[in-house]
Amino acid sequence: MAVSSGPVTGSLRRDDGLLRRIVTHRADYAYVLPALVVMMVVIAYPIWFTVDMSFYKTPASLQLRDRTFVGWKNYHTILTAPAFWSVTLNTLIWTVASTFFAFLLGLGAALSLHREFAGRAVLRAILLIPYVISAVAASYLWKWLYHSDFGVIGALSVQWGFTDKPINFLDNIHTALPSLIVVNIWREFSFAMIMLMAGLQTVPEQLLRAAQVDGANAWQRFWHVTAPHLKGVSMVTVLLLMVANFNSFIVPWLMTGGGPAGASDIWITHIYQIAFGRQNWGLASAYSVILFIVMMCLGYFYVQALTRGDKGRPE
Amino acid sequence: MAKVTLENVVKTYGPVTAVGDVSFTVQDGEFVALVGPSGCGKTTTLNLIAGLIPISGGNIRIGDKLVNDLDPKDRDIAMVFQNYALYPNKTVAKNLAFPLQMRRLPKDEIARKVAEAARVLDITHLLERKPRELSGGQQQRVALGRALVRDPRAFLMDEPLSNLDAKLRVQMRTELKRFHQDLKATIIYVTHDQLEAVTMADKMAVMNGGTLQQYDSPKNVFDHPVNTFVASFVGSPAMSLVPLRRVVEGDAVALAGDGWQMPLSPANARKALSAKSDTVILGARHSTIALHDGPREGAVPGRVYTVEPTGDVTFVQVHVDGAIVIASLAPDVAVRSDTNVWLGFDQSRMHLFDCETQMALT
Repeated sequence: MAVSSGPVTGSLRRDDGLLRRIVTHRADYAYVLPALVVMMVVIAYPIWFTVDMSFYKTPASLQLRDRTFVGWKNYHTILTAPAFWSVTLNTLIWTVASTFFAFLLGLGAALSLHREFAGRAVLRAILLIPYVISAVAASYLWKWLYHSDFGVIGALSVQWGFTDKPINFLDNIHTALPSLIVVNIWREFSFAMIMLMAGLQTVPEQLLRAAQVDGANAWQRFWHVTAPHLKGVSMVTVLLLMVANFNSFIVPWLMTGGGPAGASDIWITHIYQIAFGRQNWGLASAYSVILFIVMMCLGYFYVQALTRGDKGRPE
Repeated sequence: MAKVTLENVVKTYGPVTAVGDVSFTVQDGEFVALVGPSGCGKTTTLNLIAGLIPISGGNIRIGDKLVNDLDPKDRDIAMVFQNYALYPNKTVAKNLAFPLQMRRLPKDEIARKVAEAARVLDITHLLERKPRELSGGQQQRVALGRALVRDPRAFLMDEPLSNLDAKLRVQMRTELKRFHQDLKATIIYVTHDQLEAVTMADKMAVMNGGTLQQYDSPKNVFDHPVNTFVASFVGSPAMSLVPLRRVVEGDAVALAGDGWQMPLSPANARKALSAKSDTVILGARHSTIALHDGPREGAVPGRVYTVEPTGDVTFVQVHVDGAIVIASLAPDVAVRSDTNVWLGFDQSRMHLFDCETQMALT
């Protein structure tokens, strides 16, 4: 019951044309065709549409037939605007700091929860709350915590004598971005925790025992056995966090909207303002294309890490 | 190397007793096999000696030192694990060096010891490889090397050969025995394979249900099992055990089955009389049972159940009084299933067990 018809496959050589191969395996291609069509419509077409629009000056209305071709001008405008570099710097700080500390905190939580103790299940459930809570709710919650007049944090810092008056966390160009990063870390560390907890469960007990007999103390056992074992899952976690952070929108948009004076503006919030605030669709598209390229690079490393993780796994 | 002493060692998990009151001494340079079925407590016992789990009672000494509360690293023992437990991210050389690094030995001494261990185990050409690039036998050798480099006071081995294929297992068995002879090492070796124990060990500790059943040389365990468990666990095929009725008429004692009697020799009669009840279990290894095709004086009637030729010897399973007795025959003797045969038991080599206590009658 051969599925693919046509000439005998044995006569096919590697350098046979693509079309010829498709014809030979037409049944196989027919099976994946519906999926291909769906992906074309929902992924490839929007990408192409965005790339295309990035070369046009568009009217503020959505009357796209009134657009005019401007070539690379949008890209030129972006790369020469001072805002681009400050937004890029903000995005880098935001992404790297959030990822780094969320991972570190997640690792600490995973390691502490890995050992048996009373109340472990309850604590684990509590630590998962930041991850499962809605980003909108979390943003408003933290907005209240940070509030200069009614916020708990400001009140405590005055009461404990750290400051004379409550700090205006979100309305200060020096504290706005760090304050948002704290919220983001709080939201994301549970994700890192879940991933690393799963990883920890696959560390072979015998290896840890062998290291114990070999004379390794707890820290050396972690460094020589556990850490190498977590390498694959750590890479994946860090990359997933980086992609998520590059694409962050809800928290910065709801808490500061990129302000004050662009101090917490990152790429996505910036693009959103250009597109839906200034209605400059062409420029926003060009911005999106640049972001898309960066994300594809991260995606490449992600796939690399995934496949390397598979190859590196013992037994 | 040092001797290892267990005195009334107990390990309990809540209400469950994993190891109950185990005592034995492994002399300096002795190879002791801990054997028993799954869950008998043999691996737990090994982990107790290693210090990987704390004991609930009793004492463990390595040399003359009480080690009850010492960490594994301070007990100066080396361990070889079933899955080899090699560090997957380290090369063979670094795996071998690891226990020495942890003990902060100077670099040149580490290099010298690693090279020496690699030479002894013939793995010098593998030193730069990662464990996953090695075959099972090679990994096993590296695991042995990692135990060897440290010059420990005792080796603890947890089923080190059970992941190898049958052929390699036999080969590694020979090498391990040689390794023991050359190093005069104290080795405590856990296995569920009684053949490994019999072939390699100086002494066997047979365990069941968390308690030590018998601790003796393989020959004595084989020839003089203390109870029915040891009798049926050691030896392949297992010793046949048949519960029979004790019949006493004056001075004569016999064992009786359904419609037959087997008179016992004076020595066996004395043993049978010491049994607590009238049921005595007769135990016999296949090599001590003669098979006849007609009735004989003192022979026991049975019916052939299956015939299993193995090449040099043919095993015959015979139904005797509801139990199965395994006898052996030369391969050129033909026997057919469902024929009547008569079994002649060698009175000087048969075993009698008390049916109530399951202990050997002496």
